Amino acid sequence: MERFIKELAKKRILGSKCPNCGYTYVPPRSRCGKCYTKLGEENLTELSGKGDLVSYTVAHVELDGHGNFLDLGEPKVIGAIKLEGADSTIFMPIKEIDPKEVKEGMKVEVVWGEETKGELADMKYFKPGGR
Amino acid sequence: MMNRRVAIVGYAQSRHQYDMQQTREDMVFDVAKGALKDAGIGREDVDTVITASTDFLDGRTISNVFLSMAVGAYLKDESKVEEDGAFAALYALMRILSGNHDIALVEGHTQASVFNPHQVSSFTFDPTFDRQIGLLNDVSTAAIQARMYMNGYDVSEEQIAGVSVKNLANAANNPNAQRKMPDITVEEVLSSKLYYDPIRELTISPSSDGACALVLASEEKAKEITDNPVWIEGVGSCQDSYIRDRDLLKIGSLQIAAEKAYKMAGISDPFAELDVLEISEKFAHEELMGYEALSLCREGRGKVLVEEGITEKYGEVPVNPSGGALAADPICATGLIRIVEAAKQIREEADGYQIPDVYKALAHGQFGACAQKNVVFILGGE
Repeated sequence: MERFIKELAKKRILGSKCPNCGYTYVPPRSRCGKCYTKLGEENLTELSGKGDLVSYTVAHVELDGHGNFLDLGEPKVIGAIKLEGADSTIFMPIKEIDPKEVKEGMKVEVVWGEETKGELADMKYFKPGGR
Repeated sequence: MMNRRVAIVGYAQSRHQYDMQQTREDMVFDVAKGALKDAGIGREDVDTVITASTDFLDGRTISNVFLSMAVGAYLKDESKVEEDGAFAALYALMRILSGNHDIALVEGHTQASVFNPHQVSSFTFDPTFDRQIGLLNDVSTAAIQARMYMNGYDVSEEQIAGVSVKNLANAANNPNAQRKMPDITVEEVLSSKLYYDPIRELTISPSSDGACALVLASEEKAKEITDNPVWIEGVGSCQDSYIRDRDLLKIGSLQIAAEKAYKMAGISDPFAELDVLEISEKFAHEELMGYEALSLCREGRGKVLVEEGITEKYGEVPVNPSGGALAADPICATGLIRIVEAAKQIREEADGYQIPDVYKALAHGQFGACAQKNVVFILGGE
């Protein structure tokens, strides 16, 4: 996980591909949850940052961390994304699109922060596009 | 097959409501005492006790610290599970099957009014990734699953709202239910507050305070205690992967749990053989997905069962005549309540919502985001 986060500074998204069953995790894992094969640095694989939106929700509220649902003035889209070459689904914000236009199966790509520092926030959000 | 027959011989539940105005200890004491009274036994007759609550939901570590007294467990074999009480019932069953115990008391509870349980759910996600990004909780993930299910099988919001209409109207006849809406319509469900599209206030189970307790006994003891035992004929439990690595288009672990329970109970055609089902639908669409996982219909056809009234009280396979989890969801008690409601149907005690001629019933409990873990019980009368 540490390596995954550090590599984000270079605008690289790493996954780990199981050498036994081929399942590709993102973020990387140290053991395959499907077949229990040990996964190491040699199993890390770079993913393109592009993928398919397999599902989504338009959030009209969000939790404030203290147990309150706050109403959002502007709805936010939460995407379930399968990156090219990955089997895991990641859940990330989708922006640069009217929430009403979001469709399952859309192509999306990552938008990096202007200055990437090796932290999760380097992946700012995903937007429609790629391919 | 089980090496010993085990029966439900007594139970009690609270009047579930948003704010019980009662201490957790008193609430738990009332149902524990009520279940023993219903069984006609004393706390000295109980060999082993299992409770269900979570440290996160109860807002304290070792959440059962002051509850051992409330459930009469001092100087007895006792433990707690951090999940739904239906799993506590499974472990109590196993203890009796071990031959080391004959009578078990099972208790589950949550006081959701203390702190928003949806906020609590956000702490159950991966702390190094998903929690940092901060988008996931039980409602947002359910919305993503609901959207996937709707797109995958051409299911409409109206069809999902049909589940809320059925269950909340059923709840009107259940004295213990919290959300009773005898005249509710699909339009009313669809105009309720939108949280995470397509999930709305009336398609989410409500936050409830509540508790439930159950007494299980070996065959020999059950026959001494009651003339009306409800036998556990089959059980199955299954856990699925973390949400990132799971197929959300179905509830796979429920399907496997049900297959195990059906096999143990000798059920080959659940649609024809089950007289009533009580399932833990934390969100309305989960009931439709549940029909499919429980093999009441083919994948994607759950909507037809609701649309055609097949799972109504008067239908061929009534589901949640009590109102289900949509009518009251005191989280760690919810699955245990389903077991009690199924047992009540068999004992013909469901005044006002009794299904005629119930011989075989199914009860289901779940835990985790998008029903990650599931347990299924098949119950039968004499």
